[in-house]
Amino acid sequence: MTTLLQQIANGIVLGAVIGLVALGYTMVYGIIQLINFAHGEVFMVGAYGGLATYTWILPHSMRGHWQITLPASMLGGVVVAVVVAVIMERFAYRPLRNAPRLAPLITALGVSVFLQEAVRLFYPDAKSARPFPAMFVGGGLRLPVPGGQVILPWIRVALVVIAILLAVALQMYVNRSRMGRAMRATAQDRDTARLMGIDPDRVIVLTFVLGAALAGVGGVLYGAYQNTINVDMGFQNGIFAFTAAVLGGIGSLRGAVIGAFAIGLIKTLGGQYLPGGTQYDYVWIFVVLILVLVFRPEGLFGEAEKVRA
Amino acid sequence: MTRLTSYLRPGMALPLRVAGSVLVLVGALLPWATFVLNDGPYPAKSTLQFFDAPFEVGGFRLHMALLGLAALVVTFAPVPGRGRILRGLGWGAVLVSAVNVLFIAYNGGGLGAVTVADMPAFGGLVALLGGLAVLAGAYAGGIEQPVHLPTGLNRFVAWAVLLVSFAGLLMMVAWTLTAGGQGGVANPYAGAQFLSFLGFAGGLLAALHGAGVLPWISRLSEDHRPFSIVVLLGCALALPFTGAGTDYWMTVAANIGVYAATAIGLNVVVGLAGMLDIGYVAFLGIGAFVAANLSGAVAAKVDITLPFPVAAVIAAVVAGMFGSVVGSPTLRVRGDYLAIVTLAFGEIFVRSAQNNIGGLTGGPNAIPGVPQVSMFGTGFSEPITLGGTKLPSGVLYYFLTVLLVALVMGMFANLKNSRIGRAWIAIREDEDVAKAMGISTGRIKILAFTVGATTAGLSGAVFAHKLGTVSYESFKFLESVTLISAVILGGMGSIPGAVLGASLLFVLPEKLREFSDYRLLLFGLALVLIMRFRPQGLVPDRHRRAELAGEDIEGRPLEETVSEQAHLPTAAPVLPGEARA
Amino acid sequence: MRNQLVKSAAIVAGALLIAACGTNKTESGGAGGGTSCDTSKGTLVVGVVAPLSGSLSALGLGIKNSASLAVDQANEKCTVKGYKLAVQAEDDQANPQIGAQAATKLSSDPNTVGVIGTLNSSVAQNVQPVLKAKSIVQISPANTNPTLTRGQNFLTAPKRDFPNYFRVCATDDLQGPFAANYAVNKAGKKKVAIITDGKTYGDGLAGEFRKQLEKLGGTVVAQEKVGEKDTDFSGVIAKVKPSGPEFVFYGGEYPAAGPLSKQMKDAGMNIPLFGGDGIFDDKYIELGGREGDLATSVGAPTETLASAKAFVDAYKAKNYKESFSAYGAFSYDATNALLGSLGKTIGDGGKWGDDQRSKLLDNVGSYSATGATGEIKFDQYGDSTNKLLTVYQVTGGKWSAAESGTFEK
Repeated sequence: MTTLLQQIANGIVLGAVIGLVALGYTMVYGIIQLINFAHGEVFMVGAYGGLATYTWILPHSMRGHWQITLPASMLGGVVVAVVVAVIMERFAYRPLRNAPRLAPLITALGVSVFLQEAVRLFYPDAKSARPFPAMFVGGGLRLPVPGGQVILPWIRVALVVIAILLAVALQMYVNRSRMGRAMRATAQDRDTARLMGIDPDRVIVLTFVLGAALAGVGGVLYGAYQNTINVDMGFQNGIFAFTAAVLGGIGSLRGAVIGAFAIGLIKTLGGQYLPGGTQYDYVWIFVVLILVLVFRPEGLFGEAEKVRA
Repeated sequence: MTRLTSYLRPGMALPLRVAGSVLVLVGALLPWATFVLNDGPYPAKSTLQFFDAPFEVGGFRLHMALLGLAALVVTFAPVPGRGRILRGLGWGAVLVSAVNVLFIAYNGGGLGAVTVADMPAFGGLVALLGGLAVLAGAYAGGIEQPVHLPTGLNRFVAWAVLLVSFAGLLMMVAWTLTAGGQGGVANPYAGAQFLSFLGFAGGLLAALHGAGVLPWISRLSEDHRPFSIVVLLGCALALPFTGAGTDYWMTVAANIGVYAATAIGLNVVVGLAGMLDIGYVAFLGIGAFVAANLSGAVAAKVDITLPFPVAAVIAAVVAGMFGSVVGSPTLRVRGDYLAIVTLAFGEIFVRSAQNNIGGLTGGPNAIPGVPQVSMFGTGFSEPITLGGTKLPSGVLYYFLTVLLVALVMGMFANLKNSRIGRAWIAIREDEDVAKAMGISTGRIKILAFTVGATTAGLSGAVFAHKLGTVSYESFKFLESVTLISAVILGGMGSIPGAVLGASLLFVLPEKLREFSDYRLLLFGLALVLIMRFRPQGLVPDRHRRAELAGEDIEGRPLEETVSEQAHLPTAAPVLPGEARA
Repeated sequence: MRNQLVKSAAIVAGALLIAACGTNKTESGGAGGGTSCDTSKGTLVVGVVAPLSGSLSALGLGIKNSASLAVDQANEKCTVKGYKLAVQAEDDQANPQIGAQAATKLSSDPNTVGVIGTLNSSVAQNVQPVLKAKSIVQISPANTNPTLTRGQNFLTAPKRDFPNYFRVCATDDLQGPFAANYAVNKAGKKKVAIITDGKTYGDGLAGEFRKQLEKLGGTVVAQEKVGEKDTDFSGVIAKVKPSGPEFVFYGGEYPAAGPLSKQMKDAGMNIPLFGGDGIFDDKYIELGGREGDLATSVGAPTETLASAKAFVDAYKAKNYKESFSAYGAFSYDATNALLGSLGKTIGDGGKWGDDQRSKLLDNVGSYSATGATGEIKFDQYGDSTNKLLTVYQVTGGKWSAAESGTFEK
């Protein structure tokens, strides 16, 4: 029983990270119908940004205090991630806005490879894994449950809390603010939105910025909870995040978050209970992806895709 | 380009062109490096050699001299398309000099390596200026319309022309492969020399294109298709007899052949049917593992040994079955989602192979010791002697892959022109309209996957024997991305394009091994740039070019065609502003 | 349309040019500088085949740099009379077919005396036949798969398929059982959970460990595999925890082992992690290794071996961009074995040629010296005879030797 609950807790934590990345995927797809393959790399870059902030910008004296290191690293990660995403949008995706669907997809693949290698080559000593500072030292939440304890180190608790807060904030922003309305309008019908006085380019940039910010936070928190980052972390988590977005219904924010928790749980519970165990947990997620795409492509909360002219 | 060239007057054309060509010639003879670099003297005796034995220049200096000479001759000779030719030559000169200057400057620690006050070691800069002048002169004199050379030639004349041009192509390929020599400690400048040769070849090809020679040859070869195919095949088989016939290049060429065949299969799925498959290398892997298991290797799970052709066919069939399996769920899925589903299948394959599913893949230990193909009395890895010439080892594998590629190309061409091929193209253009026209899209799409997978499976069988080991590490996601890039780079839907794409993506990392650190970085960058500037690829399929680059079927830009049509005299009066479609 | 072609050609060339500017000057270091040695007869090439790009590049570059160091030292000491030595490193991208191409390239040069490589066993399987065809010596610093030297039936009917192949690192069937002996006999722990990363090295090592452990009466309460790029182990830890192991044996390398150890502690599983030489690296502790974690490694403890210290100091002095990582010391020893044998083959006034290759093979086979990893000597299969192994434990934030011994089957 303890194991089950522990795995559920683990799944929720993983889901929180994936959710932060999935929100970015779903927003960008909703607005320009592009699967931004490189979003996983934005997540990775955010983590390295946080590490860079911690290593070079933060004075040594402040290192022990999580109240300072955590927000500072997150801020650093967000800044780096946003800058990269904006450059990516401006130079790689915007010129291809009207090209046939294949072109931006291939470009996204190219950007993804490029970012991975750029960090590997130019960030000092990034060729192998880098240790990432643990923000909290020791301790954690110990929840007594029948049969033992479920243990959640503080960083994981922080992760879940921050992820949920950010998701809720994003939802409120998109639903209530003017810019949010503009985003939804552009997602629905770009040309009409333009006629209504909305500048689609600005809206799209904003979408990328928001998605990248969330991914940056996710990267820093992920690094903190694993104590290590490496340049390959973007690819795998990117795929999970995309699966989550699809599962929840691409274009729907709520769907992305719920899908993410679902994926997290599938990975941990599948690894625990399904045949093949942890060797194939990755595979189960893909099976889910394929099943969803085949039988219910609109996902749990999305609308059936309207055929575009 | 047009903004800069508007500064040039026609009157400046002749002096610019002459001055430019002379400068290029002179630059070729001046010394290029002012001191001996750390790794040794820069090749072609370009270190401190001033006008020494002007007829004995070699290497890149010879290329420069030839370019300069050609530019000089063309400036005065009455050839059609002069401006275009000079433009090509000018670019060639600029590229060659730029590459060499940059390399010397970087290796020598700064511009001091290419400029010296007391001794005129300005070869690089002079040649660069000359090239720019030639370019300016070309634009100043006006770039003409594309030249159309006559095509209604006597059959034998056409055949002679084709023979000569394909033989030239063969020599060009052999030179490209051997350009710069084999890099290594003894030859640290191989990469730069190779790039310089590419610049030269590019300039030459651009000049020929400008003179209208290349489109003329391609039209001739289409008119005399069977003959061209035979000659091309002959040239491919003749490669081992040229300077590129070493063990090393035979191995590389055989690998290129396998990947080219796979890329052509992928072209069926991506180029013809328009379905983006980024997990495709899994089919290559399936074919390879099946062939390995049936080859009698000690590590193979199955204890049967079958002769190679039988095993190859079985491998192709099994891979084809998996292709249908992958194809079926994708029927309901389109575009981007399709890409992700195929990615998922690819990853499932890699993971399963890594975990030795069913004991068939050897997991992390792979399946080593796959024996060589052995027919006609020799193992295919041995060197053989044909008609008195000793051919390098691995040459039989090379011939096998040429055969494989030819087979696959033939199949692809047939399919493309058949009803099925047209159905695929219809689905690619607009699936709903195709369905409305009565095409059963589901079956046809599965057929595309099956055909593609079968091709990959066949290539996989050859791959397994050539390499001797089949390991899951050869079939990771990055390989799929490379295959897709080969298809896109070469041109979607075009057969020579897929072969060219695969060749480039294999030859370049081999020739430029000095830059191996940056290989993936440049690769990602190249993908982005290609999709931005030339999405139709290098050798585009005619339809694709029309679609993606705004040209009509003949290859002329749309604006030209439209304006031309608008000026045609018509029987009935045409309303102002109305142009014929 | 032509504009596009020209433009794109220019851009492609431009990108390649930028790469030309960014060339890693790998060869210029060794070739420059005058030595007082006689190098009249030319240059001989030591090839290196390892992954120099991609995710394993840290290990591959460590191998390359250590080989370079050995070659530079040999040039200074005039080990090979009459010839200059140079390193030619070729990237195999951890990909078997690229490795085969790299090996073919090296083998087609008659001045290649030997190849140091490879890192991955699957690449080695493709490189061995290519080099065997030309009788070129191959010494691997890192392959651990026993089949490479003793054939597919290495337990029951060992057979040396490749007389040109040697290796200086320990094979799995030495390290694994040695660790098992220590665990059961010295540390008194019998219940173990095994976690591996699914790769040749990890699985092989864990397999041998398990066999010996069970022979000694221990029990494996759980065996799990994680993905090779995984860093989130909460799932596998939660799965393993209920079976109550006394320690965890990890088959794999330190980038994953470090976080695993830390996450084990975070999850309340405060038991030691035991691994092979793949985790024996200072980075392991940085990445999360804890007090009490254990690792085995080949050779005597580095502090006691003067040659090991000399290697570390010399490597630092050269200021390479990358650290020598897990296999640098092995690569250094392998290169020295090759160069020492080469010096002996050429002797005082000999000349290098294809006829010398079999003599070189014999000399390598009979080579004997002390290197950075201990004794360098090969047995009749080409395996290292250095059966001296050491168990290290993390004490006070650093690795320190706990016990040395030899393992005899």
